[in-house]
Amino acid sequence: MNLTRFRSWLKWMVKGQRLESEMETEVRFHIESRAADLVRKGLSQQEAMRQARIEFGGIESHKDAVRASVGVRWWGELGSDLRHGFRLLRKNPGFTAVAILTLALGVGANTAIFSIVNAVLLRSLPYRDPDRLVRICFNEPGVGLRDVRFSKPELDDLQTRSGVFEDATPIFEGSENVTGTKQPERVEGVNTSFSYFSMLGVVPQIGRLYGPQDFVPGFASEAVISDGLWRRAYGADPNVLGGTIRIDSDPLTIIGVLPRGFRHPGPTTSGEAEVFGAGGFSGDPFPPPIRGNRVLVHGIGRLKPGVTLAQAQARLTAMAAELRHDFPTDYPPQAQWTIEIQPLQGTLVGNVRPMLLVLLGAVILIVFIVSLNIANLLLARASGRQQEMAVRLALGASPGRMVRQMLTESALLSLIGGAAGIVTAVGTLGFILRFMPSNVPRLNEVRIDWVVLAFALLISILTGLVFGLAPALHSAKGALSSATREGGRGSGYSTKTGRLRDVLIVSELAFAVILMVGAGLLLRTLRDLLQQNPGFNPTQVVTANTWLGVPNDPRTDPYLGISGKAAFDRELLRRMNAIPGVELAAITSALPTTNPNPNAVGGLANEGFAIEDKPVESSQDLHAERIRVSPDYFKVLQSTLLRGRSFTEGDEDGKPLVAIIDESTSHKYWPTLDPLGRRVRFAQDPTKPWTTIVGIVKDIKSDGLDIDGVPHIFVSAYQDPSKQVSVVLRTSLPAALLEPQIRHEIQSMDPGLPVFNVVSMNDILDRSLASRRFSADLVGGFAGLAVLLASIGIYGLLAYMVSQRSREIGIRMALGAGRGGVLKLFLQKGIVLAGLGIVAGIVVSASTASLMGSLLYGVRPHDPVVFVIVPLLLFAVAVLASYLPARRATKVDPMIALRES
Amino acid sequence: MGKGIDLLQGTLDMLILKAVSLGPLHGYGVLLRIQQISGEQLEIQQGSLYPALYRLEHQGWIASEWGESDNNRKAKFYSLTATGRRQLHSETVKWNRMASLIASILQTTPEEI
Repeated sequence: MNLTRFRSWLKWMVKGQRLESEMETEVRFHIESRAADLVRKGLSQQEAMRQARIEFGGIESHKDAVRASVGVRWWGELGSDLRHGFRLLRKNPGFTAVAILTLALGVGANTAIFSIVNAVLLRSLPYRDPDRLVRICFNEPGVGLRDVRFSKPELDDLQTRSGVFEDATPIFEGSENVTGTKQPERVEGVNTSFSYFSMLGVVPQIGRLYGPQDFVPGFASEAVISDGLWRRAYGADPNVLGGTIRIDSDPLTIIGVLPRGFRHPGPTTSGEAEVFGAGGFSGDPFPPPIRGNRVLVHGIGRLKPGVTLAQAQARLTAMAAELRHDFPTDYPPQAQWTIEIQPLQGTLVGNVRPMLLVLLGAVILIVFIVSLNIANLLLARASGRQQEMAVRLALGASPGRMVRQMLTESALLSLIGGAAGIVTAVGTLGFILRFMPSNVPRLNEVRIDWVVLAFALLISILTGLVFGLAPALHSAKGALSSATREGGRGSGYSTKTGRLRDVLIVSELAFAVILMVGAGLLLRTLRDLLQQNPGFNPTQVVTANTWLGVPNDPRTDPYLGISGKAAFDRELLRRMNAIPGVELAAITSALPTTNPNPNAVGGLANEGFAIEDKPVESSQDLHAERIRVSPDYFKVLQSTLLRGRSFTEGDEDGKPLVAIIDESTSHKYWPTLDPLGRRVRFAQDPTKPWTTIVGIVKDIKSDGLDIDGVPHIFVSAYQDPSKQVSVVLRTSLPAALLEPQIRHEIQSMDPGLPVFNVVSMNDILDRSLASRRFSADLVGGFAGLAVLLASIGIYGLLAYMVSQRSREIGIRMALGAGRGGVLKLFLQKGIVLAGLGIVAGIVVSASTASLMGSLLYGVRPHDPVVFVIVPLLLFAVAVLASYLPARRATKVDPMIALRES
Repeated sequence: MGKGIDLLQGTLDMLILKAVSLGPLHGYGVLLRIQQISGEQLEIQQGSLYPALYRLEHQGWIASEWGESDNNRKAKFYSLTATGRRQLHSETVKWNRMASLIASILQTTPEEI
C-alpha cells in the first residue's frame, strides 16, 4: 500500500460514516439525473425512476464493490461477523457460560497477580530518577562478611573521593518510642544524613523537610513524620508543625509531614518508617570520626547523572584498593575490604522475586489450560459445523474469509472473557492483597493501571489466538473435501480434527502436571516446615514486646548502663511472674523466627567475635548472632540444655561474663574440642574482658523455621543489656486474655513504654510461614483447578467421540463385539492420551523444577514422592474421566443406533 | 440503451480516465461522455462505474471535489491528476500496441504461415 492509497484508506476508516453518506448522495444524484433525462425522453416520472434504478443495477452490491475497491469492506464484514458471533454465543448459553467463566478466572488471576508483579518487581521506585539510586554494601569477602559497618571518613570518601555519587547516606532503621501522644507507641524510625530527602526527591505535604542547610555534627533537633502517624496521633492537625514530639524521650520539633504515598526504601518486615530524624555522625553522641570507628550501617546513594552502575562499581573497587593501600592498619589485608553497589530496587524485592515469579508462572499455565479447554470445545463445535462450512465454501466463500469469521468469533469470546477477567481482578485484588504475606514490599502501590490493562488485553488476545486458530484453520482446510463426503451427519471425529483435539488434550494434561508438581513441591515444603522441631516447645507460650528507647542524649536515658537495665529486667520479671496463670517468665532480645531487620538498631545481626586461644588473623571470620536472655529463658521455652549449666541470677554485672552456645556454634568453631570453659570476646575489642562458655543448648530456630546452621551465642541479659525487650511467658492462658495485664504491669513501671505484638508463640511460628503458605495454597488451588479442567477435557473429548461414533459402535456390537471390547476401545484412547500428557509434563517439570530451588526447604526439586504421586493421581483422575463416557458407549443399543442413521 | 457492444474486461478504467481528461465530470457525466464519444455503441452497467471511480481515486489517478451540477444540485466532480495523465498515456500506448497486435494476428491467412 503506497502513501496515497494508505491515506485514502485511512480517510475511509476514520470518516467512514461521512463517506458512506457521500456515496449514497452520489448514487442518488446519478439515478435522479438519469431519471430526469428519461422524463425528457417522454417517460412518466414514476416509470423513469424505475427504469433508472434497473439500469443502475443492485445498489448495495455496487456500494459493496466500492468499499472493496478501497479496502474497507472487511470493516463492514467485521460488523456482520461480530453480529453472527454474538448470535452463536447466545445460541449456546452453556458453552458460552463455561468459556467466559473459565476465561474470567484465568485472565482475572493473571491480571491480579500481574498487577502485584508490576508494582513490586517492574514499576520504578516512586522517587526522583530511581534508576540512579543504589544500595551500598561494605564487604569483607576475605573473612566471609557482607554488609559490615562503616565509618564517617568512609562515608566522606563515597561522597567526595569516589566522584561517582551525587549523595550518599547511612540509614539507621529501628524501633522508636513515641510518647506524649494518646498512648505510647512503638514505631519504625529512620535516622539518616541531612540530604536523605533531597536525595530521594521528596516534597513535604505540609511544612518542610530537613536538608543540608540544617547540618549539625550530632543529632538534629528536628523531626519529620509520616502521613500515617500525623493522622493517627494528631488527627491530621496542621498545627502540629513547630510542636514537640518525644521520640525515645528526646524532644524533637516537628517541621514537616511527608506526603501520603511516601515510603522509606527499606525492609518492611516490621511496618513502615514513620519518624525521620537526621544526624551529622561526627559530633557528640557519635564517636570521633576516625576510620576505625565503624558505627554507620546500611548505605544508600544516588549516582551522578550519566554514571552507569558498572562505571561506578569499577571506580569504587579501585578506590577500595587505594584505601587498603593507604591505611593498612584500618584495612587488614586478609579481610579484602571492598565496596559493592546494587540497584536499590533489586535489593528491596530480594527474596520475594522467586515467589512472585512462580505465582505468575502458575497463573500463565492456568490460562493456557483454560484456553486449550476452550479450543477443544470450539473444535467440537467446528466439527459439528462442517456441513455449514462446506456449503459456504461450495457457494464461493473464500477460505480466508471463513478463517476470519471463525477468528472473529473466538476473538469476541476472548475479549468478553478478558473484560470479565479484568472485572474479576478488580473485584478480587483487595482480597488477594489481604492474604499477601507482609514481607512483600510496595503492596500499597498495587493497582490496576494501564500497564496491567495492557497485559490483561494481551493475555486475552493470546488466549483467543490459542483457542481460535485451531478450529479456524481446520474449518477452512478440512471442510470442503471431507464434510460432504463423510456422511450427512458430519461424523465430527474425522482423523484431522481428531488428531488436533488429541494434541490439545495431551498439552492440557502436560500443563496440569507441571502445575501439580510445582504445587506438590511447595506443599511438601510447607508440611516439612510445619513439622519442623523449632528446638523448643512453642505451645502454651505467650510473648509480648517493649522497646526501652535509645535517646540521642544518653543523660536522659532512665535505663542507662548494665545495672540500670538489669534492675528494669528484674522488676519486669517479678511483675510478669506475679500475673495469675503465668507459670514462668523470661526475657529475650530476639524472639524466635520474628526475623527482625538485621540492619535495624538492636536487630539480630551477625557479629564478629574472637576466641581466646585462636590467633587474631584467623579469628576474623568468626561471627555469630548474639541473643541476650534472662536465666529462665531456656526453661520457659523448654529447650534442651545439652551440657553445662544455664544462666543464674548470679550472672550479673561485676561477675565473670558467661555465655551459652548452641550446637551450630559448637560444631562450627569447636568441631574437635570441648567448648565448655573456653573464652570468647565480642567485637574483638582487646580492652573488653573475656566471656566464658558455660553451657551448650540444642539449636533454637531463631532466624526462621527454614534457616539452619546459623551460630548463636546467648549471653546473660543482666550482663549485656538490650533495649529490645521481649517477654516469653509459659502459661495456659490465651494471649488476648493476658494482654491487658501485661500492658498494665509494664506501663505501671514506666507509663512511657509501648507494649506491642502480644501473641502466642504458635502464632509467631505460623506467621513466619505466611509467605510460603500463601504461595503453596495459591499454586495448590491452581493445580486443583488444572486437574479439574484437564479431566473435563478428557471427559468431553471421549463423550463426544462416543456420541459421534454410536453408529459404528452399533455395527460393531451387531457384528458380535462384546461390551468389554467397546469399553476397552474408548478407555484405551483416554489412557493413551493421559499417558502421553503425563509423560510430557513430567519431562518438562523435571527439567524446570530446579528453577524453584530457592523456594524449597527440606525437599529436593526432584523429590521422588512428588514425581511419583502426581502422575499416579492424575492418571487415576484421567482413567475415571475416560471410564464414564466409555461405559456409556457400552450402553449403546445396536438396533437404535443403526436405525437412527 | 439499445443494443451495443459489451465493454471489454479491464477497459472501463481507461475509458473513465479518457473521459475525465477532457474536463471534470460527475459520475453520471462520465457515463454520458463515454456513451457520447462511443456513439452510443458501448453498453455500460451504470452501477459498476462507481467502484471503478473510487478505485481510480484510491490509486490517485483521479481526484474528486464536490460542486454544483448544471441543474444546481450537489454533485461530486472527478478530474484527472498528473499521475492519472501519465497512466492514461501509458495505458493508451499499451492498448494501441495490443490492438494492432491482435488485429494483425486475426488478419493472418493460412498462406502467411
